[in-house]
Amino acid sequence: MKPIDLSLFGAKGAIVEAAEGKWGMAIDQDLCTGCQACVVACAMENNVPFVGEIDAGYGRSMHWIRIERFWEGEYPEIRMTPYRPMLCQQCGNAPCEPVCPAYATVHSQSERINLQVYNRCVGTRYCANNCPYQVRSFNWRDYTDERVNDAIATLKNQYNPDVTVRRRGVMEKCTFCIQRIHRAQDRAKAEGREVQDGEFAPACAQACPADAIVFGRIDDLRSRVSRLIRQKHGVHYLEELGTQPRVTYLVGGAS
Amino acid sequence: MSNTISRRDFLKLAGLGAATSAVLTGCGPAAKYVTRQPYFDMPEYTYHGESTYYATTCRECAAGCGLIVRTFQGRAIKVEGNPAHPVNRGKTCARGQATLQGLYNPDRIPGPIRQGRAGALSRQVMTWDEALDILAKLFQNTPADQMAFLLGPAPDHLYDLVVELAAHLGGPAPIRFGALSLFEGRTTLIQAAQELFGQAALPFFDLASADLVFSFGANFLETWISPVSYTRGLSTMRKGRDGRRGILVQFEARMSQTASVADEWIPIRLGSEGLVIAALARLVAEVQGRPADSFQEVTPDEAATAADIPPEMLYHLADRLATAARPLVLVGGSALAHRNGLQVAKAALALNALLGNVGREGGVFLSPPAPDGAPHSRLASVQEMAAFVQRLASGTVKTLFIHGVNPLFELPASLGLAEALKNVETIVSFATFPDETALQADYIFPDHHGLESFGYQRVMAGAKEAALSGLQPVVSPFHDTRATVDLLLAALAQAGRPLPYSDEFAFIQSKIRPLMTLAGGSFTAPEEHTFMALFQQHGGWWTLNDMRQQPSSPRGRIAVAMAAPEDGEFYLLPFVSPVLGEAGANKPWLQETPDPTTTVMWNTWVEINPKTAKKLGIKNDEVVRLIGPAGAIEVPVYVYPAIRPDTLAVPFGQGHTAYGRFAAGRGANPINLLLPILNEAGDLAFADVKVRLEKTGRKYSLSRLESRIGVYGEGLEEAH
Repeated sequence: MKPIDLSLFGAKGAIVEAAEGKWGMAIDQDLCTGCQACVVACAMENNVPFVGEIDAGYGRSMHWIRIERFWEGEYPEIRMTPYRPMLCQQCGNAPCEPVCPAYATVHSQSERINLQVYNRCVGTRYCANNCPYQVRSFNWRDYTDERVNDAIATLKNQYNPDVTVRRRGVMEKCTFCIQRIHRAQDRAKAEGREVQDGEFAPACAQACPADAIVFGRIDDLRSRVSRLIRQKHGVHYLEELGTQPRVTYLVGGAS
Repeated sequence: MSNTISRRDFLKLAGLGAATSAVLTGCGPAAKYVTRQPYFDMPEYTYHGESTYYATTCRECAAGCGLIVRTFQGRAIKVEGNPAHPVNRGKTCARGQATLQGLYNPDRIPGPIRQGRAGALSRQVMTWDEALDILAKLFQNTPADQMAFLLGPAPDHLYDLVVELAAHLGGPAPIRFGALSLFEGRTTLIQAAQELFGQAALPFFDLASADLVFSFGANFLETWISPVSYTRGLSTMRKGRDGRRGILVQFEARMSQTASVADEWIPIRLGSEGLVIAALARLVAEVQGRPADSFQEVTPDEAATAADIPPEMLYHLADRLATAARPLVLVGGSALAHRNGLQVAKAALALNALLGNVGREGGVFLSPPAPDGAPHSRLASVQEMAAFVQRLASGTVKTLFIHGVNPLFELPASLGLAEALKNVETIVSFATFPDETALQADYIFPDHHGLESFGYQRVMAGAKEAALSGLQPVVSPFHDTRATVDLLLAALAQAGRPLPYSDEFAFIQSKIRPLMTLAGGSFTAPEEHTFMALFQQHGGWWTLNDMRQQPSSPRGRIAVAMAAPEDGEFYLLPFVSPVLGEAGANKPWLQETPDPTTTVMWNTWVEINPKTAKKLGIKNDEVVRLIGPAGAIEVPVYVYPAIRPDTLAVPFGQGHTAYGRFAAGRGANPINLLLPILNEAGDLAFADVKVRLEKTGRKYSLSRLESRIGVYGEGLEEAH
C-alpha cells in the first residue's frame, strides 16, 4: 500500500484537490433545454421519493438535481437565463463536510467524491445549511414507508436495489451515481482493464436528450469531459468560496 | 414454433453490449413471460446482482422512442434509451423515464370489471372467461356497421388488427385519436403537405443541419410530435457545423419552454402568425430579387401592426432569413390553431420552398414511409371526432370499443361526448387506468401496460430511417390483465368468426415476416424465428439509409389573413404541460417535477403578464375564474413575466375527475373552455379563443420550486 500523503487531507479528513482519480462533469448550458429528463431519471435511478403537493410547496421536495432559471429585464425586453441543472458539485473542498458532527458526509478515498453516509446521519441539517449550492435534501417524513404512503406498496417494485432507501431524519444528495461507478469499475476489474471513457454515465447524463451533460474522469486529459472543461467558456459556480467544484458549466455556446 | 427454447434465450439482451449475445432462435407462447418472483425465490435465469436488459418501445406518447429497460429479478427498475434506435439514439424524456410509475401505479385496473358506467371504479370483478363470453356475444349480436372502435394515437399492432377485424366483419374502420395530435396541429400539417406537395405525410424539419431556424408556435422541445428527436436536432444545430452555431428564433405569444431556449423570442399576437410568415416571404423574395406572387396581398407594415412588433424588426428578420446559408421555417402547435391554420401551415411550407430548402439538408422533408409499406394512416382530426360523436349521439352505434385514449378528458366537453355515450348500448373499455372514459364504460377489460406487452409500432416521424419499433414484455403482467389483441382474437374465434391468427404473437409475426425480404435493414436473418428474436432484441427493425421523402415542388395559392377570435377580454393560449403531457398526471414523480418555465408542481395555473396583473389588482396565487365561450374554470394565478399582456396561458394535463389518486381532483382542464371551432383541416382552433377573467377572492398557494414567496402568505406585496 502506498503511504498516505497527509498534505492531501483537508479539515476532518476531507481530501483536497490534489488527489487523483477524479470524476467530474461538464454541463453545457447552451444545450440544456430545461426538459427535466435528468430530474426524473435521477429520481428513478436513486429511489428519490416524492413528497406531495403540500410538502413540495414548503420546499421539501427531494430532487437531487434541479433546473434553475432566472429572469432578466421586463416584458418585452425579457430574457430567461440559460437553464442550469444544479446538483451536488462534489466539491474538492466541501463546505458541508467540516460542519457535520457525525462524520456523515465525508470524502471517499477511492472515488474522491463527497459521500453521504445515511446510517451515520443524525439529521442536524448543518450540512444543508452550509451548502452554498443548496443541493442537499432532507427527509422530513418517511416518504418511502408504505405505512405512511400506501402508494409505495406497489411503487416500491421499481426501487433500484443498488441504492439505499432513506428514512425520515436523514440528509441525502447526489452521489454522481456511485453505484454505476462501482458497477463499471467492478466489470472493468473482472475483465482486467481500466474503465473506458464513456463506458457508463450517471442517470442524468444518460437520459439527457440534448447531450448537455457529460461525465468522466477529469484527471484523464483525453477524456471527453476533460476536453470540454478545458474550453475557455467553462465556469465553476461560486468558486470564489474556494469550494473547488467538480462540475464545470459551459456557458455561451459554440462561437 | 418450438417450445424447447426458454424465454430466457428468446428475450435475453446482453445489456448494452448486445454484440456479445448469441443469435437465438425459437419462441413459443408458453415461454412468453418472465415470471416475477419474490427476491428470495428467484427464477432460474437470474443471478444475484446481475440485471437483465430488454429492448422495447416507449408508450408514453406516439413518437415511439426505443427503450432498454433494466430488470432485476423479474422487476423493471429503470428505463434507459436504446442507443441504436433511430428516433431517440439512447435518450429519453421525463415522461419516458417515469413510465415505471405507470407500470407499478397503485391505481391500475387489476382485472376485468363489470363497470356498469358507475362513475367510480366498480368492485364487480369478473373472470376472463366471462369477459370472453361477453365479447363473443357482442361480436355475434351486433351488426358490424353498428360497432365502433376508438383507439389511441400510436399506429401499432392493435390498430392493424382492428383494421383487419373491421374489414373481416364488414364494419367501419377504427379511428385513432390523441389530445397531443390536437395540440400539435398534426392533421393540419399533413393536410398542408397534401395540398402543397401532393403527398399526405408529416413534414420532417431537419433542425440538425440548419443554421437559422424561425419557429412559429411549434413547441418541439416539449411534446410536439417527437420531442426527443427534435431536441437532438437542436443540440446538433447548437454545437454548430464548422464551429458556427445555429440560431433559433421562436415566434409565440407566450414564452414556452421551447421559446425560453431560443436565442430570440418574438412575442407576436396570437392569430398573426400567418401574416408574419407571408410578410417574411414577400420580403425574402424582394431581397432575393424573385417574384413571390402568392404573397403579394400582404404588406409588411400591416403584418407588423397585426403582430404588434415594430416593422423594422420584420425587415431585419427577413434580411437574416434571406441571407442565411441554411434557413428553416418550422410551424406547428398554436400557430395552426386558428380558423386559417391550414393557410398558415401552407404559407410556412411555401416560405421554405422560397428559401430553396425543400428536400435539402437543413430543410423540409416528408417523413419516411412505413417500412412495411403500410399506407399512411393519420389520426382523426377534431372534425372527424365531432362527426364520430354525432354518430354515437344518433344511437346508430350499439357497441363501442375504446382503447388507449381518454376522450372524455382529451376532447372539449362542448363536443357533447358525455351525452352521446348515453346513446350507446354497450361500451367496452380496455383501459389500463381508471380514467374518466373507462369509468363510463359497461365493462373494463384491462390491457397490459406497455412494458408488459408484445407488439410493434410504426414510427411516423422523428427518424430519417423508416422504422418499425418493437415491443416486448420486460416483466410478467403485474395484474390480472390480458392483451387486447389476444382477447379480440379469442372472442372472434368463440363467436365463430375467427381471424387466421392463433394469438397475438402469431399476428405480430405475420406482420414482421415481410420485413425479412427487404434489403438495407438494421439486421437480417436466414429464417423467421431468428428474425423475430433479433427484432425483439434490437427493439425493432429500421433501414440504415435515409428514407426521408423529397417533396415535389409546391403548387397552389395561399391566402392568409389575420385570424380574428370573437370578442373577449384576453386571448387564451392553452398549451400542453411539457412535463405531464396529456396522460402523465397519474404519475407522482411527474406531478412533482417542476414545470420548466414556472417551476410549478402538482397543479394548474394561469399565466398573466405582470403589468396586466397589476392593472387588474391580481397577485400571485389568487384564484381567478376564466370564462370561455363553452365554460369556465377556476385556477390560481402565476404572474409570468414573459407573456403578452393581452394573453393568458393555461397548461393542459391536469383537471382530472378520475385517473387515480395522483390525478383526480387536481387542477383544471382548459380544454373545456373551448367551443369546437375548427380550422380548414378540421383541427381544433384552440388558440382562436378569448376569455373573460373574474376574481373569486380566494387564494391557493401553488407549490413551486422557485422562491417560497407566497407559500407562507408573505412577501407578495413586496414582490409586486
